[in-house]
Amino acid sequence: MPASLFEPGLMRTCRIQSVIVHSPSLKSFYLPSSLDAAPGQFVNLWLPGVDEKPISISGMRDGLMELSVKSVGPFTRALMDCAPGDLVGIRGPFGTGFSPASNSLLIGGGTGIAPIRFLAQSLRDRGMPYALVCGARSRCELIFEDELREWGCRFASDDGTCGICGVVTDLLDEAGESGLISVVCAAGPEPMLLRIMAWADGRSLPYQISFERYMKCGIGICGSCCLDGSGIRVCVEGPVLGKDQIAQVTECGLPHRDASGLRLGE
Amino acid sequence: MSSLRTVLAGVILESPLVLASGVLGLTASSLARIASAGAGAVTTKSFGTEPRAGHKGPSVVPYPQGILNCVGLSNPGADAMIREIRAYRALSSAPVIASVFGRTVEEFGDVTARAREAVPDLIEANVSCPNVAAEFGAPFGADFESCAAVTRAVKRNAGPIPVAVKLTVNCPGIGRMARVCEENGADIITAVNTIGPGMLIATEVCRPVLSNLVGGVSGPAIFPVALRAVWEVRAHTALPIIGTGGVCTADDALQMLMAGATAVGVGSAVYHGGIDVFQNINGGVEAFLAERGLSSPASLIGSAHAAGRNER
Repeated sequence: MPASLFEPGLMRTCRIQSVIVHSPSLKSFYLPSSLDAAPGQFVNLWLPGVDEKPISISGMRDGLMELSVKSVGPFTRALMDCAPGDLVGIRGPFGTGFSPASNSLLIGGGTGIAPIRFLAQSLRDRGMPYALVCGARSRCELIFEDELREWGCRFASDDGTCGICGVVTDLLDEAGESGLISVVCAAGPEPMLLRIMAWADGRSLPYQISFERYMKCGIGICGSCCLDGSGIRVCVEGPVLGKDQIAQVTECGLPHRDASGLRLGE
Repeated sequence: MSSLRTVLAGVILESPLVLASGVLGLTASSLARIASAGAGAVTTKSFGTEPRAGHKGPSVVPYPQGILNCVGLSNPGADAMIREIRAYRALSSAPVIASVFGRTVEEFGDVTARAREAVPDLIEANVSCPNVAAEFGAPFGADFESCAAVTRAVKRNAGPIPVAVKLTVNCPGIGRMARVCEENGADIITAVNTIGPGMLIATEVCRPVLSNLVGGVSGPAIFPVALRAVWEVRAHTALPIIGTGGVCTADDALQMLMAGATAVGVGSAVYHGGIDVFQNINGGVEAFLAERGLSSPASLIGSAHAAGRNER
């Protein structure tokens, strides 16, 4: 029981090693990490003097952890101003990852592309075949477009600036026909995830879905991220949940709880 | 055949373990999950009349011997928590304790009246949160008169529902404070809340880690302090005690019982031992009882005081 100094929950500080600017509001940050991570896991990132927020990991290479972040609020806006050499705090990696399997159909939507990109990288490293589809509102909100294209990704965008004009679920039938699918792995906005689950249920395919909820502690005690139904903690039993776990969740598609724990609209 | 049953102010608990307030207590589903994992009763997150977002992050940070938190009484407000308590009833038969707080004595009365609408088995007045001093002033539990006033206000509005007062060790004397609560109508003492507050500094950044700079300390590090507090409360009052603070193992729980606790709060141990910690502690306590031919934990409660008296 004595906690190791390298226990994931403890706060460590490190310097940002490099930054890739995809657009002024979309950047990837590279941090040295002594702890390995699985695709689907997340870290709590602390910007001293600002806040601490959960961020999913988009890649892991040569001891560098990659976090790809879109500016959506005060915290992520402050992160956009961070530069190589800046000190940040890290806790994690936390939560469950995707189980790598051959013939996975990988689906990423919006910022959900980040963990899906990590999963694709990991499957490629293992030589496991996969199919990959990604969607975003617009091309300027796509991360790793060139790399994903090289990896065989098909794209959809709401405005038609990249791939088909439409939503990512429009690509599923085609992707489903192109080969044998063993499992569907997806991350992105919840309405998209619901459509993907319905699609997979219709084909009796198993799935692993990454859920997003308001989180504070990251270590399974504060209760902020517990899902109605069986009380699954998204930060410990999730964020990646399987079909059987999701079947017990009664709040899929509902507005999320906020910092107070109040479900918006209640 | 031993049973783990314990009776707390007339409320029957099938295990002496109580999920402590502040841990996994925000929703009906989460509370019910902990009840089915082996808790004899569960306590909600402390709530006030209105929603509160609490402090920014980092607000919960473990260190090798425990956890610091400055969550800061974040809660969705009485309306939402009443809904959750009612929903919990459909999911579990284990007793539920509504934990309430107020910024003033009057607010304590108001939120108690709201909590009563949900008909919890017990109402726990949290007079000891260490993380809101800048906003609320010193905790009510740090001062005899304030603590007495809150106890009376909560008791007045709780009706037939038994009232626990959750105390802090940050007071002139927790035994005397418990006596004050007893004299003003409290039915149960919960001892103790997180202690400190404490601080951690990230040396590379040269800045405190917690957004609130300081936060309450919980976990294994505070167990001996909490145990001593339970012992003192037992020595000063006849009230049943929910002994809380750093309990992680069956032996810790047995120590709490022997010091005088009728029930044993478990909170931070969920981090150190996972949700299985309830089943694991239950198993260990049951084995201890069985080995000694004891039919329930009742005869253990306060049993170490006899030895304490003899050796003084």
